[in-house]
Amino acid sequence: MAITRINVGPIHPSTHGVLRIVVDLDGDEIVNAEPHIGFLHRGVEKLMETRMYMVNPPYTEKLDYVAPLGWDDLYVAAVEKATGIEVKESAAYARTILLEFQRIASHLLWLGTFLNDMGQFFTLFMWCFRERSKVIKFLEDVSGSRMFYVNLRPGGLDRDLPADFSKRAYELTDYLEEQINQYIDVTEDNSVFLERTRGVGVLSKKDAIAYGVSGPVLRGSGVEEDVRKSLPYYVYDKIKFKVQTFGSGDVYARYRVRYYEMLESINIIRQALDMMPDKGDVKGTPIKLIGTPAKPEEVIVSRELARGEGLIYMVPDKQRPYRISLRSPAFINLSVLSKITKGAKFADLFPILGSLDVVMAEIDR
Amino acid sequence: MQEIEQGALLRTLRNAKDRFNYLKKITAVDYNTYFEVVYILFDTETKEQEIIKVKLPHENASIDSVMEIYPAADWYEREMAEMFGIKIRGRNAKRLLLEKWNGAVPPLLKSFEWGKDYKKLD
Repeated sequence: MAITRINVGPIHPSTHGVLRIVVDLDGDEIVNAEPHIGFLHRGVEKLMETRMYMVNPPYTEKLDYVAPLGWDDLYVAAVEKATGIEVKESAAYARTILLEFQRIASHLLWLGTFLNDMGQFFTLFMWCFRERSKVIKFLEDVSGSRMFYVNLRPGGLDRDLPADFSKRAYELTDYLEEQINQYIDVTEDNSVFLERTRGVGVLSKKDAIAYGVSGPVLRGSGVEEDVRKSLPYYVYDKIKFKVQTFGSGDVYARYRVRYYEMLESINIIRQALDMMPDKGDVKGTPIKLIGTPAKPEEVIVSRELARGEGLIYMVPDKQRPYRISLRSPAFINLSVLSKITKGAKFADLFPILGSLDVVMAEIDR
Repeated sequence: MQEIEQGALLRTLRNAKDRFNYLKKITAVDYNTYFEVVYILFDTETKEQEIIKVKLPHENASIDSVMEIYPAADWYEREMAEMFGIKIRGRNAKRLLLEKWNGAVPPLLKSFEWGKDYKKLD
């Protein structure tokens, strides 16, 4: 058995960022695939210890440039818990709606690039980006910027919602539902897609829990675990929605979980829009009025981000965090790569990597 | 939340494995005269969360590896070892994020001085 060692280098169109994978091959079969990370390490945890509390959201947003609102919300929730500021009721509904739109936008980008890697060259990518740009335009009208929003303040948002917020949100959900329902025909009826994804990259239920993965990777292995149901926040305990799981643990299962999560998000947005009070105040506390934490007790906050479960462990000081520790979901999801690619063919490496949905900036921090 | 001694770590985690089957995060905090290593555990059936803390002295800090009990601890321990300089007993914790680091002081210690404790690569 002669082993060939191949380097899938940090500059590569299919690695979703700067990721280096050193692959040991026996003919066409993978013996070991080891990811090497750290090309995008910027020392964010140390930098955040030197800045005051509300100067930090731009750092956390740039951790995941595909779905920045999730990290912004996670950090502001940690500050709220430390300073004791409560979220206003209308603002809780508004945040839920914006977060679910952000989840749809992130999964749309994932679907486009995942199918790109498998040879469906740019057709569905362009359709997904058409949908995603409509969502981003909507978020721009709410917050003022297309990509890095920084529009969350402790207690709510930074400005009032636009006057036609509800009407445009309803129209956007109708449009998205009609378009997303068409994508299933491109994939489910395609025998090449099914053969490349079924039975490939299997992660069993016991391994998924033991290796600590989260999000669609965990739910694609049959474990029903979602932070929105286990440790509910904002208005998720009042909304009826189903946690999408699929038992087979392969690439096809993770694709299905994310696809049906998009449709479930549309359902959540519609319920939240129906229940939202009409003329509520959504503005939170302005930056210069945020007080200092009462006593330096540690704070732990969890959120269901687009890639899995994000968690912040923060020890607050008077003006700035003394220690902030970020758990990024893609970090642990990538660590199972060497386990699930054993025995697969080399051409299966990229569908498997695509199904884990990694964003390198979040992994390296 | 439990605060335990270093020697009791493996025993406590083996007992906790029955009630908590999922490890969420291992992290460390530098409190100038001592380290505190924090383990956040969770159970996917009962949805309960638990925190276990271990205090370590600053001199020659080292801690046992918990990889046999929770395999998820692999990358968390590697990152903690290179950022804080805490040695992990029982395994060879290779560098993860800073493969070519040649500074004298581990980066996340409070005694790390910006611009002084790191030599530029040529």
